[in-house]
Amino acid sequence: MAAKRTLEQQIAVFGESGSGKTVLLSSFYGALQEPAFLDRSVYRVSADDVGQGIRLHSNYLGMRDDGRRPALTAFASTAYRFSATFRGTSPKKAAVDALRLVWHDYPGEWFAESPSSPTEQRRRADTFRSMLGADVALLLVDAQRLIDEAGQEEKYLRLLLTNIRNGMLSLRDELLPDGKPLQDFPRIWVLALSKSDLLPDMDVYAFRDLVVGKAGSDLDALRRAVEELVESTEALSLGQDFVLLSSARFDAGTIRVSDRVGVDLVHPMAAVLPLETHVRWASLKTLPSKVADALLGSVDGMAGVLAGHKLPLPGPLGLLVGLLGPDVAKAAAELAGGKLKDAHATALRRKEYAAATLAAFKMALERAEKDKVLLRSPR
Amino acid sequence: MTYLWATRGRSWGFRLLRTGGLDDPLPTYEAAFAAAADDVEVWQVTAAGGALRFPDPLGRRDRSGRVIPHDFVLLGGDAAGITSVEEGRRRLWPQVERVFAAAYDSPAPPTPRP
Repeated sequence: MAAKRTLEQQIAVFGESGSGKTVLLSSFYGALQEPAFLDRSVYRVSADDVGQGIRLHSNYLGMRDDGRRPALTAFASTAYRFSATFRGTSPKKAAVDALRLVWHDYPGEWFAESPSSPTEQRRRADTFRSMLGADVALLLVDAQRLIDEAGQEEKYLRLLLTNIRNGMLSLRDELLPDGKPLQDFPRIWVLALSKSDLLPDMDVYAFRDLVVGKAGSDLDALRRAVEELVESTEALSLGQDFVLLSSARFDAGTIRVSDRVGVDLVHPMAAVLPLETHVRWASLKTLPSKVADALLGSVDGMAGVLAGHKLPLPGPLGLLVGLLGPDVAKAAAELAGGKLKDAHATALRRKEYAAATLAAFKMALERAEKDKVLLRSPR
Repeated sequence: MTYLWATRGRSWGFRLLRTGGLDDPLPTYEAAFAAAADDVEVWQVTAAGGALRFPDPLGRRDRSGRVIPHDFVLLGGDAAGITSVEEGRRRLWPQVERVFAAAYDSPAPPTPRP
């Protein structure tokens, strides 16, 4: 049966070649196909494109069973669409029966090097344009490169941030054909330490301090470059959220995919960070109303599900936001601690699995903060 | 011989270093390797001529530890007589091995050539 309504979130992962993008994606998807997950979860995740699902699962099994890394991603970008559907039959009153995550994967060298053919150049611009629809961007910092430059980490960090900045600036004319700043843009940029298992003593605070301490001015320059592209720069968080990621533990000849850090946070970050942050920003008096409406529009479905309110019939986003109201979004965004656990338990009891899943996502982020794996911006 | 060659260095990314004289070689490259998936070794006759892939003969790896592949698309009649990966490697590798040895450790890739 076709989904009555699917809530979609997009995530854009930025990282240089070899920084672990495809491994992360494969680890994310493969773990969701393991019996250990399927037995205890109220939802199942499948790739909308069956061929993509088989490829990612095959990558995962190659790592798990044969210690084999996925092949490199060459010349092309792919938008992977994953749908989480819920156990059993959705109650008739359920407003949402699927959560979709769109994850863009592409060759990392597109940031650092000029394309080697006209087709590749067009694809690079098309890919970045499509990634602009994402709410959250992950910017990967490769732990192996930090180790390679131990004591002079600024060399790598400054180069990484400069490459990303130059990549953005070089595409400016293609991304802004009429010169007007963009309204839809990833406004939450999370700095992510990939391969964090290689630096086991580094918690998320130490990671933040390393990046800010060694490359604070370059981080600021990147933020300013991004500000040139986006409307209402007050609604932008770059370099204030941090997370540790490890897709697996790589030992000599073996890859332990069960030994992971932070991978399970990708979906919760994509779903919940915009909910919490956009609601906060939308309440700023300084934002143009169309920007504030757009921010609320990106989260209204999430908020409605989480707060237990029945959503109105599908319609223009502005109408939805108007009917739902910012108060519901605010209440849902601010659910935390004990009230969040209560909301989760209630949703499970009522078999409102979409709400239970979103509440579980929020709980996962809270846990990760306590474990010093995640650091969220206060603003 | 007229061929496309795609590979990567230790720190520069996968790219076409020989274009076979084509203005836009990527569509030809992708059509030739469309059925090869992630196979480590490939030899197949294609509409363009032939698609050949083998891992770096000296086992050189990229910065993240992956063995570097060398992908070739032989254009027109240059694929004639090749029946295996080994035969293809014997013919093609001498054409590029010096260029690759000089480029592998460079921070930036060499400029593509026809």
